Amino acid sequence: MFSHLIRRATRWARPAHLGWAVAALLMFASSSVQAIPAYARQTGSACADCHAGSYGPQLTPYGMRFKLNGYTDTDGKSFKIPVSGQLTETHTNPATGKSTTDLTEGDLYIAGRLTDQVGGFVKVEADRTGKNTYNTRLSNVDLRFVAKELKLGGKDLTLGVSVNNSPGFQDPIAALPNASFIAPVGVTGSFLSLATPNAPSNRVIGATMYALYDKNWYGEVGTYRSLPTSTQDHLGYNIASDPGTLHDTGYFRFAYMKDMKKQFFSAGVVALTTHRSLPRSGPSDDLTDLGYDLTYQYLGNREHILQLSYVNILEQRHYGAQLFGPGGVAAPDRGDVHDQTLTATYTFHQTYSLSVSRLLSTGTRDDVRYPPFGDPNATTNMVTLFWAPFGKDDSYTTIANLKLAATWFRITRFNGRENNVFGAPPGVRPTNAGDLNAFSLSASLAF
Amino acid sequence: MLSPSPPAWRSEAPRSRWPHAVVLGGLMFGWLMASPLVRAGDASAGADVFKSECAECHTVKEGRNKKGPSLFGIVGRQSGSIADYNYSDALKQAQWTWTQDKLHWYLSQPAKTANPGTKMKYDGLTDAKQLDDLLSYLSSVH
Repeated sequence: MFSHLIRRATRWARPAHLGWAVAALLMFASSSVQAIPAYARQTGSACADCHAGSYGPQLTPYGMRFKLNGYTDTDGKSFKIPVSGQLTETHTNPATGKSTTDLTEGDLYIAGRLTDQVGGFVKVEADRTGKNTYNTRLSNVDLRFVAKELKLGGKDLTLGVSVNNSPGFQDPIAALPNASFIAPVGVTGSFLSLATPNAPSNRVIGATMYALYDKNWYGEVGTYRSLPTSTQDHLGYNIASDPGTLHDTGYFRFAYMKDMKKQFFSAGVVALTTHRSLPRSGPSDDLTDLGYDLTYQYLGNREHILQLSYVNILEQRHYGAQLFGPGGVAAPDRGDVHDQTLTATYTFHQTYSLSVSRLLSTGTRDDVRYPPFGDPNATTNMVTLFWAPFGKDDSYTTIANLKLAATWFRITRFNGRENNVFGAPPGVRPTNAGDLNAFSLSASLAF
Repeated sequence: MLSPSPPAWRSEAPRSRWPHAVVLGGLMFGWLMASPLVRAGDASAGADVFKSECAECHTVKEGRNKKGPSLFGIVGRQSGSIADYNYSDALKQAQWTWTQDKLHWYLSQPAKTANPGTKMKYDGLTDAKQLDDLLSYLSSVH
């Protein structure tokens, strides 16, 4: 998980390691969940029906409905094997450190319908960790039971249950961090973000119940608990990034979404509250995430697609432990963390995409928890160009796909500073925010 | 050799063409007014309507079904007639012929109103011009 790498980078403050951390970030950004060919085979649809760019990940309204229907929609023909794979080769060129070109990731997806009411998504991921060594882990899981075509007050109603391992991954609008795989990078972050140190992503298990009423109103409520550290270890995760024990965890989501065929917009709120003990034997911190998200899509005749999304999540913390810094300075017992993400994506002919994101991670000043300056603020910009030639109705193939991507990753502020972000003493080469920048080229093949 | 005067049929021709033109025009007008089989849509614009309204569930490729059946050659086709598509019982029993008129009627209202029990989820296209454009496009796909 890249948050772990960032923390290591923070500790080491050495350019080579920083480059490696950002490389991992880039790999994660480029190979996150995409269009799954198994779904295309199951539905007869093209990848581009559910995704604006035919390789994904951004969902069209039709893709959102497919997810809400529990991945069960079908072309009515015989059972299809619900298995897909993805291979990703990445060339990474960090601002500091050595460039690398490797087969960075291999994925196995078990994705599709079991019955008309039961379907799911399971990703098993092998990430390169060194020369010819890979770490295999259970990535995202979303298993669903859904009751479709119900009526309430004469209006359509869909009810469903999702068993998943990342709060927000199951969201149909897919703007929340665990669904969009876009989140601010920094020394801290909200519990709903996958970039936060000790994030719950893929290390918890939870169940949520959701309803879609009258095609527009979406509501969801659920709870999560963290997996035992032994289970995390068995599933391929380093227990150093354990999210801790969680108690009384609640997840709440409410959104209005409007599909006008040529346009779509949504406005939603999200909340997560939990009592977390980290380390597990330690006192409990009270965490409350409150967020909202706004999205807009211009789809037209699918020749020119514009997608905008803004996510704003505020986390309020009440720390259970009393910490003291150098000189006996006491850390505050409360603090806020604030994540903001603004993303604009233009897609031409569902083949060429340009995506620009601005990511802000800010928080209350805390000299003890955020050394060396007590300022956790970080600003990141990410620009990605995609080319995905297949996966459309008129493509050579609609059930396999290729993506070439170029990604520029720019950090303009880290630990609240642009220069000497880790506070190197005189005589030691300082690390500037720009030293964390990187560029990557990746080729992904899905089948 | 130039004729000093036009032949007789030339001078008579205008008198004889008028009734033919009137009759032909009248027939055309009457046919167009009486029959909804031909609609004055723009097939090119209809292709765009198809992409935004229909393409997620249907293609116009022959032999390729999505969530809905292929619409290749839909105009004039018998309803529920694609052998390898699993239609709802409601549509199997409808026994319709998809004329432009029938399609216009079907698509201008919610599918479940037109054919209760159908699997098709569509709220209907209420824009008359878009519907005419769409039907012109579908007529061109065969």
